Amino acid sequence: MDESRKRPRDRGPLSREDVTADSPFTLPGFFAELAEGRLTGAACSDCGHAMVPPRPACYACGSRAVAVEKQPRAGEVVSYTAVHTPPPAFEARAPYTVGVVELASGARLTGRVDADYDAVAIGDPVELTVRDPGDAELAAALDHETDWPIHVFEVR
Amino acid sequence: MPEPRIVAVGTSPIGRTDLTGRDLFSAALAEAFEGLPDPAEVVEALYAGNQSETYEHQIMQGTLLAEWAGLRNVPAERVEGCAAAGALALRHAVEDVRRGTHDAVLACGVEKMTAGGTAGATDALSAAFDRALEQRSGITAPSQYALLAQRYLHEHDATEADLARIAVKNHRNGAANPRAQFDREVDLDAVLESEYVAPPLKLFDCAPVSDGAAAVLVATPEVADALVAREAQTVAAGVGAAANNVAVAERDLTFVEGANVASETAYGEAGVDPADVDLAEVHDAFTVCEALLAEAAGFAPRGRGYESALDPGERSEGWTDVRLSTSGGLKARGHPIGATGLAQAVEAHEQLTGRAGGRQVEGADTALLLNEGGVADAVTVAHVLRRAA
Ligand SMILES: [Zn+2]
Repeated sequence: MDESRKRPRDRGPLSREDVTADSPFTLPGFFAELAEGRLTGAACSDCGHAMVPPRPACYACGSRAVAVEKQPRAGEVVSYTAVHTPPPAFEARAPYTVGVVELASGARLTGRVDADYDAVAIGDPVELTVRDPGDAELAAALDHETDWPIHVFEVR
Repeated sequence: MPEPRIVAVGTSPIGRTDLTGRDLFSAALAEAFEGLPDPAEVVEALYAGNQSETYEHQIMQGTLLAEWAGLRNVPAERVEGCAAAGALALRHAVEDVRRGTHDAVLACGVEKMTAGGTAGATDALSAAFDRALEQRSGITAPSQYALLAQRYLHEHDATEADLARIAVKNHRNGAANPRAQFDREVDLDAVLESEYVAPPLKLFDCAPVSDGAAAVLVATPEVADALVAREAQTVAAGVGAAANNVAVAERDLTFVEGANVASETAYGEAGVDPADVDLAEVHDAFTVCEALLAEAAGFAPRGRGYESALDPGERSEGWTDVRLSTSGGLKARGHPIGATGLAQAVEAHEQLTGRAGGRQVEGADTALLLNEGGVADAVTVAHVLRRAA
């Protein structure tokens, strides 16, 4: 390929060769980083939108000029609830609290909240932590997912 | 471009049944084709809406249902989009007839949700959530919608009782619909006193797990007129579809943008405004959905969609006079996932042809169908149906 047509790798669009299992743009790469305590996202170079996990195109503006960016672990609760009727793999934990969290970067993701439902409110500051999957979670994991950590938000 | 007509409709019993998916389809097909020639003499292609193969361990639904209808070597395929599968099937049928690809297409949908019990349904539905972060958090369908409801109540001047009134209204409508899974009304206290499934949503805020099938025959005006009287037909005047993203967290939690885009597209094709719509079957899988969809479809001002339970004269300024979920909605008619979008079309077809009995909306001329899949507007399909005569 003509070298001048290649964009710098940290700005996208991804080349075919960029899509490897150690790139945070793939789920194996994203979870490998997360297992080391690093939460990664994709930041759009055109509009600034941040997305977790990283993906090859910006959902806000459509641009593929995206770059991997380390995400802050601090955020706040946008919404929350408690799961009283869990999937089979999570039965022993119910009821448990889940929430939508907006990170300081603006990226939003769903995760468990390590607090009783009654102790959580919209706007509460939280911090993302990771832990190894438990036995029930491992039983529900596919072969390629067994090393992937579980993310949990702790109320600060 | 031929303006597609809906010629005939049918449903199976909806609810907890001892029938399998193909049997449910047989029942829906039998009703739709009562008094008509055999499907093999009419139908040129088939689309089958079906959420999940985990219930019956069966894929190849397109081939299977075509076989059960006596259709040999016609194009037939399953359409998947979680709970929007039924309306996606209808959309394909309508588009095929519009394009002139086929003169008559059968859109059908089927789900045997009770096969794996509540745990099986919970697990099968969770496949609609993002595997990377949502499924790993142990989230469920009710808790996904609870995240929307919690935020809705936080941002707007609405209460759990306001959401409960939507369930009461839809049970009242369902009690007047012989096709409905639930034939009894519930009062406000019953809804409010039911157990939390995922607060602020309680058991009675949630649509049930249902078995069921539906079938809708779509054809050119020429074929339609050869089969049934004009008065028994409706026109598929507008279609819209929009896939928003998968993970709920990344969306506007109090505005279902995809549903707004899909309904605006369908209105534009049909040349109608929200105020022209007499009745709407919306995807009230959970009570909050009806509020959100009333706003997205342009029936209600932002933050006032929960007034869908009130009679038109009692609603806030800015509301249209539309009647919502006259069938009882997903809440009371039942929600056999892959068939739901077509069950919505069945209700609108009966209303627009004056055959809705005790729940008839007088003078109904225009209907909107809003069928969603995934969580809320992960995918939305909108249809505008109009009277043909
Ligand atoms: Zn962007």
